[in-house]
Amino acid sequence: MSFLHLHDVWVEFPIYQGGSRSLKKALLANTTQGNLMEDALHRVTVTALRDVNLNIDDGDRLAIIGHNGAGKSTMLKVLAGIYQPTRGWSETSGKVTALLTASLGLNAEATGRENIIMRGMFMGVHPREMESKIDEVAEFTELGAYLDMPVRTYSSGMMVRLSFAASTAIPPEILLMDEWLAAGDASFLSKAQKRLEKFIGHSSILVLASHSMPLLEEWCNRAILLDHGRIVGTGDVKQMVEAYNELVAKS
Amino acid sequence: MPVTSSGERHWPDNVTRLPAHNAALAAWGDLRDGVSQSWMWSSLAIQDIKLRYRGSVLGPFWLTLSSIIMVAAMGVIYARLFNMQAASYLPYLALGIIIWQFVSSLFSDGCQSFLAAEGIIQQVPVPFSIHAYRVVFRNLIIFAHNAIIIPIGFVLFQLPVSWRIFEVIPGLVLVVINGVWVAILLGMISARFRDIPPIVGNILQVMFFVTPIIWPIDALGNLRWVAELNPAFAAIDVIRAPLLGVPTAPLSWPLIIGTTVVGSALTFAFFTRFRTRIVYWI
Repeated sequence: MSFLHLHDVWVEFPIYQGGSRSLKKALLANTTQGNLMEDALHRVTVTALRDVNLNIDDGDRLAIIGHNGAGKSTMLKVLAGIYQPTRGWSETSGKVTALLTASLGLNAEATGRENIIMRGMFMGVHPREMESKIDEVAEFTELGAYLDMPVRTYSSGMMVRLSFAASTAIPPEILLMDEWLAAGDASFLSKAQKRLEKFIGHSSILVLASHSMPLLEEWCNRAILLDHGRIVGTGDVKQMVEAYNELVAKS
Repeated sequence: MPVTSSGERHWPDNVTRLPAHNAALAAWGDLRDGVSQSWMWSSLAIQDIKLRYRGSVLGPFWLTLSSIIMVAAMGVIYARLFNMQAASYLPYLALGIIIWQFVSSLFSDGCQSFLAAEGIIQQVPVPFSIHAYRVVFRNLIIFAHNAIIIPIGFVLFQLPVSWRIFEVIPGLVLVVINGVWVAILLGMISARFRDIPPIVGNILQVMFFVTPIIWPIDALGNLRWVAELNPAFAAIDVIRAPLLGVPTAPLSWPLIIGTTVVGSALTFAFFTRFRTRIVYWI
């Protein structure tokens, strides 16, 4: 049984490289979404998530919907165990694989092949085990001779293919993905979906944050809507997409 | 395969709770899990070196060669300056320089242990200690390349080899343990305060001149105690003296053991308190 549970989770972090007063003022006056505040020591603090309660259980394909800066990526990082809640707590069962950016752990100077091995290492897979998967990964990426070239020569689409294939070489139990996936072209996306479907049988949870509504509707069976770091709605994907569109229309 | 530190795992066994109930236990689990995933940091360290020298003919042996050139050039000049026999001064100087390069790189590289791993830390939850172990191991590999000079020197200068040479093992082990806490502590402080790496760089430069690395400690006369109380000298002395077959200075062992204990304890306290903040700092 896999699950991801968040209990009254807050994520607040001070911004240390904030710079001058005027910059702070600019930030405070203007701003996007994550709420900026000054704490007692006059540090600028971002509240990226506030009072989030969320239960994700076996079989859930959860879509996270929200503006830029609504807290989608922070949410994924909390679910992945990268950010620890500053208040509240999280409980996780199952092995989490997080694909947060395409460049994830990619070393630009190393070849595609070396990066596949390295990506595996960060997921806790021994290089020897990863070696045995490399042919299958290579085939999926369709990178051919490029696999022996440094990753800095890759286009962003190629990086997406490499990252995705390497990260999913070992079927993940819990898969978290941020919107970078959309950088792939249509043919890649349909291939990626097929690959995911293959292990949906044993992969139990998928969490996807994206701006691409068609992608979310196709891949997910549940959705939450984030606004200013709060969950403002939960329901099925269609409902939440509509709620999101209303939210956009209002602002 | 467990990815998070097992100190943060509670009953039922496969449930991870964050933040952990017990921060010290979680910090200890981080250090221990890092050790058990030695294949990860050793592969990363080896790859660091491979990538740095990709496309170069000599590869990491450039380090060896540049050390040889430096020692040869300095040896001739400084032996004259200090009025010493080149045959006895050169081994002292060579060992001093390669050990100092090792020790100082533990400090300067240690500042970057978390900053340089930002791409990993922001994306995957591996134990933080892995990044420190990687830095120490990488510098140990570099040191090993430089150390090739040592047997060459022994043959060239027909130095006597005594049993005392095995004392180098505890010396090296202690220096490495110090390297680990330095990489964790300086790594954390540097992530939080970006002025630290240049400050450390400056201090290292000063230390090179005020520590008996290239000059003999006897040259200080009755100010000898200044050097004997210098932990940097202790670190060099516990490796160099056994190799040269001479006794270590009286305070070198107590000093290096003291720094190991105090430094490790201080670092563990810091690590317990601030470990989970690192990701917000970088």
